[in-house]
Amino acid sequence: MANSTAIKVTNLTHTVTSNTGNLTILKGINMEIQESESVAIVGSSGSGKSTLLGLLAGLDVNTSGDIFLYDQPFSSQNEETRALMRGQYVGFVFQSFHLLPSLQAIENVMLPAELKGDKDARKKAKELLDKVGLSHRLTHYPNQLSGGEQQRVAIARAFASQPKILFADEPTGNLDEENGNLIIKLLFDLNRSQGTTLVMVTHDNDLAKMCDRQLIMSAGHLTENKL
Amino acid sequence: MSFTFRLMLRDIRSGDLVTLLMALIISVSTVTSIGLFIDRLQLSFEQESANLLAADRLIRSDEGISNDWRVKAQDLGLQLAERTSFSTMMFANDALQLSQVSAVTDNYPLKGNFLVDDTLFGTGFAFNESPKTGEVWVSSRLASLLNIKIGDIVEVGDAEFSVAKYLVRDPGSSTSAFAISPRAVINLADLASTNVIIPGSRVRYSLLLAGARDELAQYEEWVTPQLKEGQRWRTPTQQGERIGDTIGRAESFLLLAGTLAVVMSGVAMALASARFVKRHLMQVAILKTLGATPKLLTKVFVQQLSVLFVAGALIGLAIGWGMQEIIASLLAGLMSTELPEPSISRLWLGASTGLVSMLVFCIPLMLRLIKISPLSVLQPNARIEQNTLFVYLIGFVGMYGLMCLYTNGFLLPSIMTVAILGISLLVAVIGWSIFKLGRSLTSGATSGWQIGLASLYRRLVPNLFQLLVFTLIIMLGLILVGVKSSLIADWQQQLPENAPNHYLFNVQSTQIDQINNETDNLNIERSDWYPMVRGRVTAVNETSVQELYPEERGEPELYERELNLTWSDTLGQGNELVSGDFNAEGLSVEQDVAKEANLSLGDELTINIGGNIVTLPITSIRTVDWGTMQPNFYLILPKSALQNYPANFVSSLFISEADAQPFYKTMSQFPTVSILNVGDVLKQIQTIIGQLSQAIQLVLFCILSAGALVLLASVRSTLEERLEEGALLRVLGARSALVRQALLIEFGALGLFSGLIAAIGAETCLYGLQVFVFNSEASFHPLLWLLGPLIGVCVISAIGIFASRTVLKVPPMLLLRGL
Repeated sequence: MANSTAIKVTNLTHTVTSNTGNLTILKGINMEIQESESVAIVGSSGSGKSTLLGLLAGLDVNTSGDIFLYDQPFSSQNEETRALMRGQYVGFVFQSFHLLPSLQAIENVMLPAELKGDKDARKKAKELLDKVGLSHRLTHYPNQLSGGEQQRVAIARAFASQPKILFADEPTGNLDEENGNLIIKLLFDLNRSQGTTLVMVTHDNDLAKMCDRQLIMSAGHLTENKL
Repeated sequence: MSFTFRLMLRDIRSGDLVTLLMALIISVSTVTSIGLFIDRLQLSFEQESANLLAADRLIRSDEGISNDWRVKAQDLGLQLAERTSFSTMMFANDALQLSQVSAVTDNYPLKGNFLVDDTLFGTGFAFNESPKTGEVWVSSRLASLLNIKIGDIVEVGDAEFSVAKYLVRDPGSSTSAFAISPRAVINLADLASTNVIIPGSRVRYSLLLAGARDELAQYEEWVTPQLKEGQRWRTPTQQGERIGDTIGRAESFLLLAGTLAVVMSGVAMALASARFVKRHLMQVAILKTLGATPKLLTKVFVQQLSVLFVAGALIGLAIGWGMQEIIASLLAGLMSTELPEPSISRLWLGASTGLVSMLVFCIPLMLRLIKISPLSVLQPNARIEQNTLFVYLIGFVGMYGLMCLYTNGFLLPSIMTVAILGISLLVAVIGWSIFKLGRSLTSGATSGWQIGLASLYRRLVPNLFQLLVFTLIIMLGLILVGVKSSLIADWQQQLPENAPNHYLFNVQSTQIDQINNETDNLNIERSDWYPMVRGRVTAVNETSVQELYPEERGEPELYERELNLTWSDTLGQGNELVSGDFNAEGLSVEQDVAKEANLSLGDELTINIGGNIVTLPITSIRTVDWGTMQPNFYLILPKSALQNYPANFVSSLFISEADAQPFYKTMSQFPTVSILNVGDVLKQIQTIIGQLSQAIQLVLFCILSAGALVLLASVRSTLEERLEEGALLRVLGARSALVRQALLIEFGALGLFSGLIAAIGAETCLYGLQVFVFNSEASFHPLLWLLGPLIGVCVISAIGIFASRTVLKVPPMLLLRGL
């Protein structure tokens, strides 16, 4: 299978200013992630995993270096263009779900399609909630759902825009084992069925091992874990 | 439906937009209702005063009215009527009497009514017609002097008239206070046949006008440049200084109330916007991760805010209109006249208050909201830069601008702004010290007391802000209460119930004892007797008045006419010495006329008294409280200068309605004594004051209700943190009673301190307002020092406990999950 490059990172450096002085979190990172690949980024707390994820998704601006999505410059774009590219390529699943509390489950899932002006947003959202097994919870609000259910809504929302790349930040971090396994199964199933590239930050080695590749973040450097 | 509106509907459902909408509605409706109500009151005052003038506007002239003036008034669609007044002898049977006759057109008066009676010395009823041709209405006193009754014939010049009514009051003449001959009214069409007006006669012509404000203003602009010496343009508010003054102060009060409403609206909008932004931070960050661009988000918020503004303004205007209708109808029973309809054009004020408060409080926060980094979803502390100083500054400038717009001036807004700044500083210093003290006294929290006091310091900044809001609202309320009480007390003091309502003139010294006996028999209260001599100021510091004012233009009142002079060894009631020595051998001048004529101590005035010239230096300057209705004088001379002149005496009395008839009958024994009845003017003033007092109490009530709503909004804005803390405490095993006690202590302490600081602030502001805005004397208000802390503790604890009742009832799990 001739995969194209979904994400390309060259010489990525990120420095933040804190009250104790400048702190370089990422030190010259280079990597490539191919389309449809699943990649786990592991490392200890504070190693810079989430920072890297934020930069890859264009949520923050790096200090130097470049990030490309499908060969298009991404990190060098302004916020407006990055947002448009996010809408086009990227989906998210967060550790703390980040559903909008004022919206019902179905409305949360409709959001990405609505932002693109999709007229079939509701129908598609319904199908996706059906896929994650929540067709009976469409009009529930997030605080009426259990943690596992909330994360399933979040996954449905992430796939609603049919993203080419899905970023997941500790997707099972707030869940018990049973719910965690359910979520992981869902993520990988959808990843495979839709050909989505999956980039996941996790502490969980078992989960990491389910991915095609494991990248280890340590003291601002990224190394490949050759098993 | 577009994305914006779908999002908006969902936000409405969640209640976040509703809070903002409510703030906008409160803001627009409060300002609108007060603005409209003030407008109606102003119109009503004008009407009341117009009744005293018998017209909306009047031109008074010593020469006949130019026909061009009539034509122009008709062209502008104004109503016009005329009155010609003169003194003449009236004859009946064998008696004759000098009288003051007014000849009026059929449609006179344009405003107000004649008061007439069919019984001699009756108290009168309103009569909406003027005398028919061939008729004369005579005052009871004139009738008794001429010994005539209804149906008898009297002669005026060459014409004969039949007496048709007894005149009690001619609406347009009530304030020409010193026209003391007995009065009569005839129809203007009969004037020519009397032949009494010949070249050189002293006649006063009046052209009375009524109509819409704009046309009257146009006419004024056209006619004033044409006015010559002896011609004056008069408006209702010039008529009777006391009423003007009373209304002026009431307007200042209402304006102040409106300004405070504007400030409260601002606070409400600021609180609601802050809450909206806080609750939408994560939403915006999530939308950004989902691909929403800043441009799209800007569009979404601008559209949402526009819809919100239109909806809020429309609902607010409608409620505002309704509220002022309710206030007006509540007042209707108390008002003697019906309030005129409010002008729709005044609605812009409420709408623009809403718009400006939205622009200054909402937009800057929204812009910051849009700037939130999408990274916040991964790192919650990567939120927005805390550029709050800038936001507050914009809010402050906007508020100041609104107040200036509202009051049409800078004085009141400046006083308020300085006060608010001062209060903010005071709150910061006092609040910080007290909270810190509370913290150090309560280390190792175990009781509700300790938890409550400790949490004051733990949430230092939000609590200081809340303390400021509480303080401001309570302070604004206290200021209004203080101003209201002192205004009303001031008015009541100005015109006590039994203020003199009659003057006796032309009393000879030999008649004084007799009149004293008669009034004592009738139990009528009487002021002292003052001797009165007529004289005219002819020169100032040896320069003649003609030389000083060659064209007689801009001549001060003191030189313009013959004055009533008196002498006295003691300062009379209502007089207060400003400078100099009252008992020195010189003149004592009333302060306002001295100022007008630019006179000071030491200046010499030459006075012509019946052909004799007296020159004296000014040795004292006095203020006179004209409201006491005692005989008062611009110039008081030393006894040595006047005692050799033949003098008449003057006194004032209070005559109740029941005493009126016997009194008039008794006084007919003294045909040469002139009686001036000012009771109707007084009654009108008292009516206006009564209405004003009711009106400002209602406005006060409205503002305080709006204030309570803002307090509630303010408590709600920090509710989430308190809910979270309360839930945690309960999860950790605290009983509901403990949580309730802690909340009660926290709110109670906030209330107590805000009430105390508010009392300090209100007292300071009242000082500024009394001295600079109301031009009255500063006074201390002990009531505020009691009310402030009391309201603070009771109201804020009640609102706090009411708003946080969910903390105590809902299972903690549910609260924690919802947060």
